[in-house]
Amino acid sequence: MNFVESAERQALREAVAELGRSYGHEYYLEKARGGGHTSELWDEAGRLGYLGVSVPEEYGGGGAGIGDLAAVCEEFCAAGTPMLLMVVSPAICATVLARFGTDEQKKHWLPGFASGQVRMSFAITEPDAGSNSHRITTTARRDNGGWVLNGRKVYISGVDEADAVLVVGRMEDARTGNLKPALFIVPTDTPGFEYREIAMDLVSADKQFGLFFDDVRLPADALVGSEDAAIAQLFAGLNPERIMGASFSLGIARYALGKGVGYAKERSVFGAPIGSHQGLAHPLAQVKIELELAKLMTQKAAALYDAGDDFGAGEAANMAKYAGAEVAIKAVDQAVQVHGGNGLASEYGLGTLIGAVRVGRIAPVSREMVLNFVAQHSLGLPKSY
Amino acid sequence: MPNIVVLVKQVPDTYSERKLNESDHTLDRESADAVLDEINERAVEEALKIKEASEGEVTVLCVGPDRATDAIRKALSMGADKAIHVSDESLHGSDMVATAKVIAAAIGRVEGVDLVIAGNEASDGRGGAVPAMLAELLGMPQLTHARQVTVDGSTVQVDRETEEGLTHLEAGLPAVISVTEKINEPRYPSFKGIMAAKKKPVETLTVADLGVDAGEVGLANAWSTVLEAAPKPPRTAGQRVDDEGDGGTKIAEYLVGQKLI
Ligand SMILES: Cc1cc2nc3c(=O)[nH]c(=O)nc-3n(C[C@H](O)[C@H](O)[C@H](O)COP(=O)(O)OP(=O)(O)OC[C@H]3O[C@@H](n4cnc5c(N)ncnc54)[C@H](O)[C@@H]3O)c2cc1C
Repeated sequence: MNFVESAERQALREAVAELGRSYGHEYYLEKARGGGHTSELWDEAGRLGYLGVSVPEEYGGGGAGIGDLAAVCEEFCAAGTPMLLMVVSPAICATVLARFGTDEQKKHWLPGFASGQVRMSFAITEPDAGSNSHRITTTARRDNGGWVLNGRKVYISGVDEADAVLVVGRMEDARTGNLKPALFIVPTDTPGFEYREIAMDLVSADKQFGLFFDDVRLPADALVGSEDAAIAQLFAGLNPERIMGASFSLGIARYALGKGVGYAKERSVFGAPIGSHQGLAHPLAQVKIELELAKLMTQKAAALYDAGDDFGAGEAANMAKYAGAEVAIKAVDQAVQVHGGNGLASEYGLGTLIGAVRVGRIAPVSREMVLNFVAQHSLGLPKSY
Repeated sequence: MPNIVVLVKQVPDTYSERKLNESDHTLDRESADAVLDEINERAVEEALKIKEASEGEVTVLCVGPDRATDAIRKALSMGADKAIHVSDESLHGSDMVATAKVIAAAIGRVEGVDLVIAGNEASDGRGGAVPAMLAELLGMPQLTHARQVTVDGSTVQVDRETEEGLTHLEAGLPAVISVTEKINEPRYPSFKGIMAAKKKPVETLTVADLGVDAGEVGLANAWSTVLEAAPKPPRTAGQRVDDEGDGGTKIAEYLVGQKLI
């Protein structure tokens, strides 16, 4: 067992951190508050191959693993420049296509994922199917050798930035007539496809959208991979999504902890730096411990996934996503507290993180659904729903 | 096709607390994070630009302890082709003259060198004399404090910028150049660069391998000795002036008092 990351991964972390810091949290906030996107940073990261680290080499990617992509995501967040689309585009979409796409689909999409030029959103959540994805109703009907898609999705991130959306829908099984899941690639300019921004009380450079598919005609090759592979495809995307979700939270937690510790060392109220009061020092130390634990679990999940153990990675990925989200919430809360009134002043860049880290407890899978998973699968307790 | 040697140094991160060892007043390398000196990143960048314009080769040369391999890897991940690492316990505490001799000997191992590129000074010692000493030892012209470098066939032109002003220099190759922080913006290593770096050759040499006399290097043979060192006094609290409508005047008075305006 090895608890030290490879020299290359460490070098990658350093390079990404440096690039992220050169943009900085102020750049991020300016974009987020002004309704813009972090396109400059995304594009530069893409050119440097940071976004494509886990895309296979034959398609121009780095040929490395999800552990490396997660490190990139974490470092950008830790530098104060979180890019939510990283959780979706290179992690879920590129992985699903690399593992299950047809040769044509791989040739068409993967080089773009490798360079970051392609951005793809991922849409599974529906108004009546969030935690319960079995209730998805977006459905594709066969038509003249192609497909006609109808349905709705909500809270889909980054659609306005995306070239296409990977849509989880259902289609009729040719033999049984039953509906079964199917994944479709829907370019954002496809006629009949509309998306509307959902007003969110989040200060984020990546927005959420409601999607409307109204008789959207898609060519035959919009279906990802073969007809019967959808369940496997979804599972293939699940672990990377959770590992990336965990890394996203971890990075923000690091950023907040760094801010909190820095301030605790500098600010003094009764003569000594406030960090000398255990009332502030201990919670910060606790955050540090929980952060390291969550990071370790994230690395374990990534290592198992990269070793090809999808099943084994599942438990660790869920636990990592849970622990990452929880510590991020705690880290931001404590960093704000350490800052006193400054914690809520715009200038200090912490207030907006309060909402940002709450996302990790809800998406991509809620805290409760992770606990359900652990109760049921790790502990063998009866299913409650 | 210029054959370029870039000198790189690993230094304590300027953002971390830098200390001297109590026993011998040499740098306490354990107390701070070690990084590739920022000015050297620019030297590497300049070498890579020249190489990319005319298909040369870039060799990184580093004199430093074992862990300086990290600085070397960084330069290789940016795109340098190979490296020479002179690592030897006996070099601990060497002064600039000894360092220049060791570097000169190591450069002698690279065949057909056209350009040696260095930073004008390292952010730790800030002596700023090694490039000039090196040029003397190698018998090459020195073009220091460059903020712009142009290689044209067998000549090199440099805009040299110091506090005294701007000078335009030209010399035949081979030559030694030192660059300032104005020279360029260094690139970030790409992921492919990072992965490729581990496969690039790094030759590790000792002082004996270079044929340098051990009696010329190290703390005991340095021409100058640090007898005493005291930490920087902590910053004192600033002077507080309340603005009662005359804030501007008071600031001006203060600046005049400090002879700043
Ligand atoms: C900022 C943001 C970005 C998002 N981006 C995307 C995206 O890009 N693509 C995408 O597809 N989706 C996205 N989502 C949606 C997200 O994945 C869902 O919000 C999430 O899965 C929860 O689903 P829901 O909102 O429908 O909540 P619900 O399923 O309605 O759940 C409501 C509450 O009930 C709890 N609950 C439900 N069932 C159980 C149970 N059996 N036991 C215990 N508790 C239960 C839940 O934990 C939750 O607390 C995003 C959401 C947010 C907030």
